[in-house]
Amino acid sequence: MSDSKCIILIDREGYMVTKTGHTEDFDMQAISALVAGSYAATREMARLLGEEEFSVLFHQGKRDSIQLTLVGDRTILATVFDERTTIGMVRLYAKEASQKLDKLFEDISQRDDDGSEHIGADFAKSAKDQLDAVFSD
Amino acid sequence: MQINFALKEVNCKIVYYGPGLSGKTTNLEVIHSKAPTTNRGELTSIATEGDRTLFFDFLPLNLGNVAGMKTKFQLYTVPGQVFYNSTRKLVLQGVDGVVFVADSRRGKLEENTESLENLKENMAEYGLTLQTTPFVIQYNKRDLEDIHTVEELDRALNTVNAPTVEASALTGEGVFPTLKKLAGMVLENLNRQQSSSVVRRRMLAKEPVAAGVKARAGEAAAAPSTPSAPSRPAGRAASEQPAVVKEHVASGVKPVERRVPPKGASGVKPRVTPRRENASGRPAASPAARDVAQGERPAAGSRAALYIVLTLVVLGGAAAALYYTGVLGKLLG
Repeated sequence: MSDSKCIILIDREGYMVTKTGHTEDFDMQAISALVAGSYAATREMARLLGEEEFSVLFHQGKRDSIQLTLVGDRTILATVFDERTTIGMVRLYAKEASQKLDKLFEDISQRDDDGSEHIGADFAKSAKDQLDAVFSD
Repeated sequence: MQINFALKEVNCKIVYYGPGLSGKTTNLEVIHSKAPTTNRGELTSIATEGDRTLFFDFLPLNLGNVAGMKTKFQLYTVPGQVFYNSTRKLVLQGVDGVVFVADSRRGKLEENTESLENLKENMAEYGLTLQTTPFVIQYNKRDLEDIHTVEELDRALNTVNAPTVEASALTGEGVFPTLKKLAGMVLENLNRQQSSSVVRRRMLAKEPVAAGVKARAGEAAAAPSTPSAPSRPAGRAASEQPAVVKEHVASGVKPVERRVPPKGASGVKPRVTPRRENASGRPAASPAARDVAQGERPAAGSRAALYIVLTLVVLGGAAAALYYTGVLGKLLG
């Protein structure tokens, strides 16, 4: 609705959670790491300035721009957009989406875990074999 | 650590720590140049003009399929220079394993111990210790002549009895063994945590998850599009399996004020250097990673309603205008 190019949900440690839109041209892993780094640096800046947090970050480019919106206290919604839309539209919808996602994450974190999902018992052995295969000198 | 059950992915964060010019970035460069192209992504460096690390270097490594899970490592380095401590601390957030790259040269022992102490302090702020986190010490620059013996280095640095590897990052020697050792420890640790957490979860089924965020990717995407939908039936909720489970040590994290004056940091020009030699490490678009932008859908309804109301107002206005024109016409006529 905001006519953005793509949207990426990234956690604070730099892992991508999910993405959507035209993301084929981008190296998502590197972008996620850099977004998380950028956000962490901004947060530290805010702290030094006596501000609790800067909840929105915006980088303007000639063609594409990116807006980062904090979702809860540990996830970042990154919106990449170009001249087809405006910063106002992006900000409006990102804020709305951020609030809804925050509520959703909050609900899920309160939910009981049935423990049905876990790493398989043969994970450690399988990992060792794979390490041998990949890191043989 | 991120475990994404929907995408069947495990992501681990490994940080190369150590004093300035000890060879952390060189380690990553060697891994980047020697790892099979199908397993590595691009090496990204945020460095100064003088090629000193300003924020971090980043290299994603794909281990491949491990017990049905796509397992990936994200390798980071920290800036070694003393005055970059705040950025160093940020990079350590959520770390799963640490390589301490020590400079073996004589005269560098103090810098090594200082950096190691700094690592302990920074980890403590995230509630982590060297004893409980997978940790490997790499004695680097073994190819040089005026260096300390391994015993001397062990005495000074290896107080936690961590595995050590002798290396020469410049020639590439010892780089893979270091990473392999640590990666093995990280995955073993994950395996242990997982099996114990399953038991713990069963025992504490009623206890809410303190700091973890679990989200089903599809659910995360769909939820914003259904703001007015009634809450999902409990049965369905229980049958749905959480897609993303992130486990973190949340306790003991406290914002300790430690400020280091940024002396000598002026005039530093940051630059980001993505070394684009390989694009194959790019993750394929996942079907589970659905449209977060669907969150914009609810606005479609409200916008349509707005148009209808506007149209009605305009039509009403027009009708009223016609009516009054007629009345006026009669009065005047």
